[in-house]
Amino acid sequence: MAEPLIRAEKLVKRFGPFTALNGIDLEIYRGEVHALLGDNGAGKSTLIKVLAGVHQPTEGQLYVEGKPVTFQSPRDATEAGIGTVYQDLALNPLMSVTRNFFMGRELTTGPQPFGLLKMDEMDRITHDEMVKIGIDISDPGQAVGTMSGGQRQTLAIARAIHFGAKVLILDEPTSALGQKQQMEVLKTIARVRARGDIAIIFITHNEVHSNLVADRFTFLALGEVIGKGTKEELKGKDIRHLMAGGVEMADLEQEIAAI
Amino acid sequence: MSEASQPGTKRTESDRLKKGGTFSSLMRRPEAGAFLVMIVVIAAIAFASEGNAFNPLGLKNNLSVIAQFGIIATGACLLMIAGDFDLSIGSMIGFAGMSMAMMLKWGLPFGLGEATPVTAFFFTLVMTLALGWLIGTIVVKSKLSSFIVTLAFLFFLRGLTEVCFRVINSSTQISGLPDYKEQSWFAYMFGGEAFGFVYDIWFWLGGNLNRAGNQWVTGLDARVVWWLLVAALAYVVLSRTQAGNWIFATGDNRESARANGVPVDKTRVSLFMFTAFCATLFAACQVFDTNTADAAKGNLKELEAIAIAVVGGTLMTGGFGSVIGVVFGAITFGLVANAVFFIPAIDGSYYRVFVGVVLLTAVFLNESVRKRITGGL
Repeated sequence: MAEPLIRAEKLVKRFGPFTALNGIDLEIYRGEVHALLGDNGAGKSTLIKVLAGVHQPTEGQLYVEGKPVTFQSPRDATEAGIGTVYQDLALNPLMSVTRNFFMGRELTTGPQPFGLLKMDEMDRITHDEMVKIGIDISDPGQAVGTMSGGQRQTLAIARAIHFGAKVLILDEPTSALGQKQQMEVLKTIARVRARGDIAIIFITHNEVHSNLVADRFTFLALGEVIGKGTKEELKGKDIRHLMAGGVEMADLEQEIAAI
Repeated sequence: MSEASQPGTKRTESDRLKKGGTFSSLMRRPEAGAFLVMIVVIAAIAFASEGNAFNPLGLKNNLSVIAQFGIIATGACLLMIAGDFDLSIGSMIGFAGMSMAMMLKWGLPFGLGEATPVTAFFFTLVMTLALGWLIGTIVVKSKLSSFIVTLAFLFFLRGLTEVCFRVINSSTQISGLPDYKEQSWFAYMFGGEAFGFVYDIWFWLGGNLNRAGNQWVTGLDARVVWWLLVAALAYVVLSRTQAGNWIFATGDNRESARANGVPVDKTRVSLFMFTAFCATLFAACQVFDTNTADAAKGNLKELEAIAIAVVGGTLMTGGFGSVIGVVFGAITFGLVANAVFFIPAIDGSYYRVFVGVVLLTAVFLNESVRKRITGGL
């Protein structure tokens, strides 16, 4: 097997007395969608925040393309090619599509940070990048607050890719959307996967969604990996059982029936 | 719905954004309301004062007040767009004025000898910028609301100003300083006159005459130039530069700005330093114009600055606003504050009644603008 794009080795993250991650191993491969599944509190958010440079791991080591890395800030992670699309998408509703797209990475001429914005060029790039993954916005000057949830997802994903993300972390991208828009986002994920050069970490609660687009699965419960494998390897196993953190569905059915 | 069901016309998400004409896009600008209010006020005051508010002297006096408001409101506006308040602006004006006048009267601190307008100004500016940095750093590091931190500095700086006056000067006023603007070009830059050519041309054209038939007014106060400079600079920085994008991003959603690599803390601290700079500029113009200082100078100016910024279309919650709107707001407030001098029949306190009414109206207006932008939720 090829060298994974990202490898996490025995990641431990403690917040004071609380152990959020307890020795996580994870491999992310190029051109694959890697579904990260687990119940609330399983440690998914902490794990991606460690990968994104928001938190520093207490123990363990991250490797990007085989080289050990230490992220002091989200900026370090971004520079290493890890782009995170958070649940809130890190978009600013009052600002225009273009200003959001280039937020923090504006194209300018002149001395920093008072260089003049190259607005026309930024408008053009924003429009082109969004068309590439399936949305044609009519006016890059429109405020993000006027866009639909699916459009906002696309904007956030297009932005991450444009700024060199080799790994795209999507934190529950479908959770706050209606049915039709959920499908739009899954299509966007499929389009990005089809490029072949980008790895996607797809965090979700939804078994159906993960089965539709994911190549590889990792299941978390109480800060530990309780199951992992490719789609083929997991065939026949009870995914729902792993997703629920190892709770037997049959037990649950009995418990509910008994009430 | 009928168009959607027609075969061949595929409606997409982006078709739902209504595209208006030039007029409706102008009305969606943050400064639209401020512009309309300004026009009404200019017309009303011109009418009620029988044009006296805009005669040569009226124009000079009005623009002097407008420029004062404009300078501090520009600082308040940028800071508010980044999501913070500065309630210490007024006390900072008092402190800076005290500092400059005391140095001019009693010499530089640490036994550095006599002060000139240049050294007095720059010593003061270093102190006020350091204070602005301190306020900003406390706000950023403590994660407390800037409202509380700057409220503390409102009291702290005003008290400190009074104490310094009493201890060193044994009076809370300084008057009778030499007229520095007569000797020093530097003092003249703040306290002197500008745009004299406009009045010269006015005289040459047959206006601008006093009773004896000579030229009446020779120029506008120099602070008008500073106001225009500060406003122009703030406009370019806010709407055309990278720093401007950072200011908007910081105020709209601080966490998302941070996640995208915007240096949120630096932006906020810099803006607190900018309001301190504006307050110092305000004080310098006052000190070098009148050659006096007073512990009460700048009282309540922070609230007027915030009110002007809001009337100019700046959202209280940050992320949205306009320097042009603040220019309109400053003109409106300056004219109304000065109206009593041109319309003797009215009571000067109507100014505050007006401020209250306009402020509340502006907040409602801004709220509806925000809803229109964010999709009405």
